[in-house]
Amino acid sequence: MRFEGTAIAGVGQLRFGMYRDVPAVELARDAGLLALHDAGLTLADIDEVFVGYLGLQHQVGVKAVKELGLTGLPVTHIENASATGLFAFREAAWAVSSGRAEVAMALTFDKMTDVAGRGSTSGSMSRGAGRDQLDASILPAAFFALWAQRRMHDYGTAPETFAAIAAKNWNHGALNPLAHRQPDHAVTVEEVMASRMIAEPLTAMMCCPADDGAAAVIVAGEDFVRRRFPDRRLVRCLSSAAQSEAYSPGHAFLGPVVGPPTMTRTTGQEAYDAAGVGPDDISLALCHDAFANEELEYYELLGFCEPGQGDKLVAGGETALGGRIPFNTDGGLIARGHPGGPTGVAMVHELALQLRREAGARQVEGARFGLAHCVGGGSVCTVNIFEGVD
Amino acid sequence: MARVPIADYFEVTDGDDAPVRLRGSRCPACDEVFYPRRLVCAKCLHEGTDDVLLSTSGTLYTWTWVHVPLFAKTDAEVSEYAVGQVDLAEGPRVQAILMGAPGDFSIGMQLELGLETLRQDADGNDVVIYRFTPVGADR
Repeated sequence: MRFEGTAIAGVGQLRFGMYRDVPAVELARDAGLLALHDAGLTLADIDEVFVGYLGLQHQVGVKAVKELGLTGLPVTHIENASATGLFAFREAAWAVSSGRAEVAMALTFDKMTDVAGRGSTSGSMSRGAGRDQLDASILPAAFFALWAQRRMHDYGTAPETFAAIAAKNWNHGALNPLAHRQPDHAVTVEEVMASRMIAEPLTAMMCCPADDGAAAVIVAGEDFVRRRFPDRRLVRCLSSAAQSEAYSPGHAFLGPVVGPPTMTRTTGQEAYDAAGVGPDDISLALCHDAFANEELEYYELLGFCEPGQGDKLVAGGETALGGRIPFNTDGGLIARGHPGGPTGVAMVHELALQLRREAGARQVEGARFGLAHCVGGGSVCTVNIFEGVD
Repeated sequence: MARVPIADYFEVTDGDDAPVRLRGSRCPACDEVFYPRRLVCAKCLHEGTDDVLLSTSGTLYTWTWVHVPLFAKTDAEVSEYAVGQVDLAEGPRVQAILMGAPGDFSIGMQLELGLETLRQDADGNDVVIYRFTPVGADR
């Protein structure tokens, strides 16, 4: 869908990491306040909130919004696995674009380190017995390793290419004060390759961490934002596309957390068409790099190069800061971190800073169009396109 | 003592050489075959499918060796293992644990279906899971 007259009014994000002694609703409160302050608003100005998280109990979203005040506004929970935050943003933007809300917020928070500590088959993340047990038997790294192995077979991709993408994102993280991983040295391909093997060919440094964190974005009409911030570059929400899987032969029903790669291609095309732009127009992109090999595939599926040519983009440094199409400038899931719900909103946060040209040491020169992509288990995909204008 | 499947998508009978079969569905309207069983055809949306027992061998589409314990150690002490996706002749792509060592697997090879005991339940039955093994390998 194409959004009409819809812009980002404010963003807020806590540094992702481990917040063992901080209640989730307080993480949400602090990110929500950051976004409200960035937008110059209070909860009284917000018409609707979409909350998103993965690892917490029911109803926590409403309680989190109460930490910002009790104004009687509608609150709706959104959950779509890793893509939760970007789907919550999409609903907030659609609420504004449709005219049903003048100002809407996506408020996302999670404590995934609790979930990781409980193990995959216990606690609130339990998927039960029987069929669900079979579904839960294999950790996410293995699913994406299966994809990586097939890639190596089909195109001769070397594991060092995955390592180069991971190293790039670790090094981007060093420039982002809100990144979980901020290495104190330049991470090398050799260092990534030498880290502990998780699921061949993926090493620990090619995998995202489990995180706690929170992030919020406030969306409003363009005129509303212009009036309040006449001197700030305006960040328009141009388009959003979302899909679940379409059936094709060879579909594995039992097991995979993320479906056929073609889903990213068709979702991306839909978002480009709705925005009236193409890959050549995009200044920077944020994608679901939970595992480094994913990012390589998304270069191709999102149209930044032909199938099988992603390895050359990596070799040429084209997707690093300073390259032709920088990817995951905030460190991506691998370095910025992946708390679940907030991940997609952190992408919007980064794009807002970049398109306002407030991204400091990691600023992409002349950034105009930005793209945020997320996939989520089940599976789902969403691609969202933004434009920064003076 | 009996063998109890950890899920009901395969049939197990007592006896050392008892065959294990995956049970899928065939759409009577468009003939597409699915695993696991389902009521509504995913391709043509016809309601109602026929049970079908699937091939016991297939072609390895992709695989990996996982250096993390299976089931996070809650169901079995398996410190590392292989997992892969196997294409059956009828069409379904089945993701499953593979039996063997890291050097045993390559994309495109033929695998056959087998069983492995994960643990004993409270009644002393073997709780089993289906796995795929390279054709001709010792078991």
